Amino acid sequence: MGRRMGMLVGSETCFSWCVRQSANTVRLHSTVCESELSVSVLQVTHYKQYPPNTSKVYSYFECREKKTDPSKTRKVKYQQTVFYGLQYILHKYLKGKVVTSEKIQEAKDVYQEHFQDDVFNEKGWKYILEKYDGHLPIEVKAVPEGSVIPRGNVLFTVESTDPECYWLTNWVETILVQIWYPITVATNSREQKKILAKYLMETSGTLEGLEYKLHDFGYRGVSSQETAGIGASAHLVNFKGTDTVAGIGVIKKYYGTKDPVPGFSVPAAEHSTITAWGKDHEKDAFEHIIKQFPSVPVSIVSDSYDIYNACEKIWGEDLRTLVEKRSADAPLVVRPDSGNPLDTVLKVLEILGKKFPPFENCRGYKLLPPYIRVIQGDGVDINTLQEIVEGMKKHRWSIENISFGSGGALLQKLTRDLLNCSFKCSYVVTNGLGVNVFKDPVADPNKRSKKGRLSLHRKQNGDYVTLEEGKGDLEEYGADLLHTVFHNGKIVKTYTFDEVRDNARLKESEMEELIH
Amino acid sequence: MAAQDFNFLLATDSYKITHYKQYPPNVNRVYSYFECRRKKGAQFNEVVFFGLQYLLKRYIAGRVVTEEKIQEAKVFYQMHFKQVVFDEQGWRSVMEKYDGRLPIRIKAVPEGKIIPRGNVLFTVENTDPEFFWLTNYIETMLVQMWYPITVATISREFKKILARHLKSTSGSLEGLEFKLHDFGYRGVSSQESAALGGAAHLVNFCSTDTVAGLIMAQRYYNCPMAGFSIPAAEHSTIISWGRNREKEAYECMLDQFPSGPVAVVSDSYDIFKACRHIWGGKLKERVMERSEDSALVIRPDSGDPAETLLEVIKILEECFSCSQNSVGFKVLPSYLRIIQGDGIDLCSVEDILKKLHDEGWSAENVFFGCGSALLQKLNRDTLNCAFKCSYVETNGKGMDVYKQPVTDPSKGSKRGRLSLRRNSDGFIETVESGVGKPEEDMLVTVFENGTLLQEYSLDEIRKNARLWEEDVSPALHNQDHPTPLDVHQKHIMNGVH
Repeated sequence: MGRRMGMLVGSETCFSWCVRQSANTVRLHSTVCESELSVSVLQVTHYKQYPPNTSKVYSYFECREKKTDPSKTRKVKYQQTVFYGLQYILHKYLKGKVVTSEKIQEAKDVYQEHFQDDVFNEKGWKYILEKYDGHLPIEVKAVPEGSVIPRGNVLFTVESTDPECYWLTNWVETILVQIWYPITVATNSREQKKILAKYLMETSGTLEGLEYKLHDFGYRGVSSQETAGIGASAHLVNFKGTDTVAGIGVIKKYYGTKDPVPGFSVPAAEHSTITAWGKDHEKDAFEHIIKQFPSVPVSIVSDSYDIYNACEKIWGEDLRTLVEKRSADAPLVVRPDSGNPLDTVLKVLEILGKKFPPFENCRGYKLLPPYIRVIQGDGVDINTLQEIVEGMKKHRWSIENISFGSGGALLQKLTRDLLNCSFKCSYVVTNGLGVNVFKDPVADPNKRSKKGRLSLHRKQNGDYVTLEEGKGDLEEYGADLLHTVFHNGKIVKTYTFDEVRDNARLKESEMEELIH
Repeated sequence: MAAQDFNFLLATDSYKITHYKQYPPNVNRVYSYFECRRKKGAQFNEVVFFGLQYLLKRYIAGRVVTEEKIQEAKVFYQMHFKQVVFDEQGWRSVMEKYDGRLPIRIKAVPEGKIIPRGNVLFTVENTDPEFFWLTNYIETMLVQMWYPITVATISREFKKILARHLKSTSGSLEGLEFKLHDFGYRGVSSQESAALGGAAHLVNFCSTDTVAGLIMAQRYYNCPMAGFSIPAAEHSTIISWGRNREKEAYECMLDQFPSGPVAVVSDSYDIFKACRHIWGGKLKERVMERSEDSALVIRPDSGDPAETLLEVIKILEECFSCSQNSVGFKVLPSYLRIIQGDGIDLCSVEDILKKLHDEGWSAENVFFGCGSALLQKLNRDTLNCAFKCSYVETNGKGMDVYKQPVTDPSKGSKRGRLSLRRNSDGFIETVESGVGKPEEDMLVTVFENGTLLQEYSLDEIRKNARLWEEDVSPALHNQDHPTPLDVHQKHIMNGVH
């Protein structure tokens, strides 16, 4: 492929070539504009690729529906998604003055080196700087945050507002597509809430404490601090228990709540605070820790050496009196952390049940005395969660006995493919004429995109429908549910986190469907 | 140095706020370590150590505690726990005694080094007895090392596959560093992850569209331009011409980018028709006009990756013919190449290259783009990354500590003070219980009391992480005799630690 793509010579030379170039390359200052460079390189050259006389590019985002191959059945279907996270992106990366002449110069230099060619659209960016004082002439319309919308519907649209800046719409694609992450975390978290709600209701007759049943343990298992903040905030759309402190900062800064904090935690041990006492002093460790926190719930990881022995001998015998003295507001929460999740939970419950006899609740399920509970925080994902609560129910244990912690599966083990999140161009104006555009690859009908200008409506029967090709103008289904949230650099509509939570709450109809 | 608006005191798991009350009384040292635990039947046996310098420079070095941050944390934790539990006095002491710098020592393997699973990669301990609780306070942040380590490792595993096939079907490794292009920017969870993951890929390759990774490599690893790209189309720039003008859209690409390679996604409607009738038909002469340095790179983007690629290359062979290289494999004319950037992961890359090989095609014909499999489809369990306490001192007396859950022996942790050495057989191993010889220790003190003591450039890291001979030509090794890696692994399994 020639000089340009590294037919320089064998493996080592590409790198040595990079080093030689270093002498000639302008050093970047720390003021490099993040949004300008925070773009896939792919987009840098696109301004040259659109048809001549294009004056508008209009694109949209959806979580595509996937008609799955019947041979590949997925356990969880994810038929609806929670729309969340756009406000964060708009505030952090797109609003206000995002371009300065210094930043244009620096981007120009970077791309010159990166492409070994002069392809950067300096003129286009200078125009934005001069005409709009560096604000982005685009308009974003979106569904309200927290809305729960079926797959295959438009969730937001982006269009350029100035004919000179038609190329800007897809420049911002890379940044905006990262919304897949908060959407996916919030959606997956909510699906788990449904599972917990169902089993909690069935085994106890109430949903009390539901919001604390799935605790975020994911801070260390995500790929960066920023991801931790976004992901943890997305989980808090549905729940209130978290150890990922970063999420609370994101909510406070970008959404706001009426309560002082949107998420809570309790004192808890980790292995080091047990093992530091030495193998023969596990009981001393447990005793010390339980005494340190007399009046709030305290979770104590108990599997450092032998979870079953810890439950039976240490909690069940040696420290039994201490445990029984605790109030219902301040239970001991025993935490296993290894072994097959369902088997371990059942065995732990069995052992604790022998030492701390349970009573029967109003639904006929066993409930441990109020001073002792269990938290399973290892190997929990949406599938194992389902297995555990189903297993507990079979063995006649109420879900009131347990809460869950989830880390990697909650915040990291997710990809853009889970909900098929996609951003596609659907409409352009060329030579003054609007054209509906789309892709339709012969080898994959699932990848077909929508056409024309889009709008989202709710029919009389409550179903959502996306109208294509500008048909929303006919007002057949009432007003467009997409609201303008961003216009020419300004955020024109915001949602508080309370509104987000309210929009995402489990609906009556969903609860009915779950129970029956 | 550490970011101003970032509050270090809020960058930990909530429960760690309560741990200072839980350690045994009179503990004066907590020593912990990080490893990628070994797991039976695991797919990856060795890891690339990368990313610590970023964390140290961005979050840990310099002054991380201020009165303002203490107050913010205090107020927050009171509401978060609904009680007072935050160790205000402890943090104020850090601020007063050390001007807000962390009295911590971190020793680590040099960045870029390739280390077998199950070995210590870095250790952390407090340097002042008063701050025993600090060691595990920073666990949450340091365990995020799993990410750059895992991306760099997976990226290198791709490189091994590509190198083997390139060597066997072309006789050389020319262009290897451009064979796997990072397409992952939009599919990661945040800008910061894009930067870190993007940089980790650049340890092994030079090809990327994730600009943030370039900036990261420049700012934190002293590499002005770590990666390159070429002009390329996306679907919007093709479909905006309308379905009937696909040829015009393609022609525009050739016109706009006459010199230098250009990639054109060609599956908007029908990839096979596009190849046969447009590229191989109406625009055939335009394509043939292009020089070797300005190749057209056709990009399929849907359908089964291997099948689609094979059919595309067959069509191109019919339309443009091909030649044979020095080792007898077919190569398309030098003005024409293919990039497969959809559905690529370690399995599909191996599958595609094998199928190409079986059909007589050289790996020179194809480039790959990888998005989520490179930067997002990974987690801490991929390499079983863990941080555990292995040694404490109480009243000045040391004790080796560990966990050993009966419910999962693979979760057992190492004991005592640790060092890493190359033994007399040349294999890297971890020495436990503090009996390691300091002069043999491969771990280097990189951070102490707020100061970064050791820096690595991307250049050095790339050297450390380069492929070995046996990665490229495994066929050369006699199948009857175990490879050095096999022997090494047996070594570890027999518990040489």
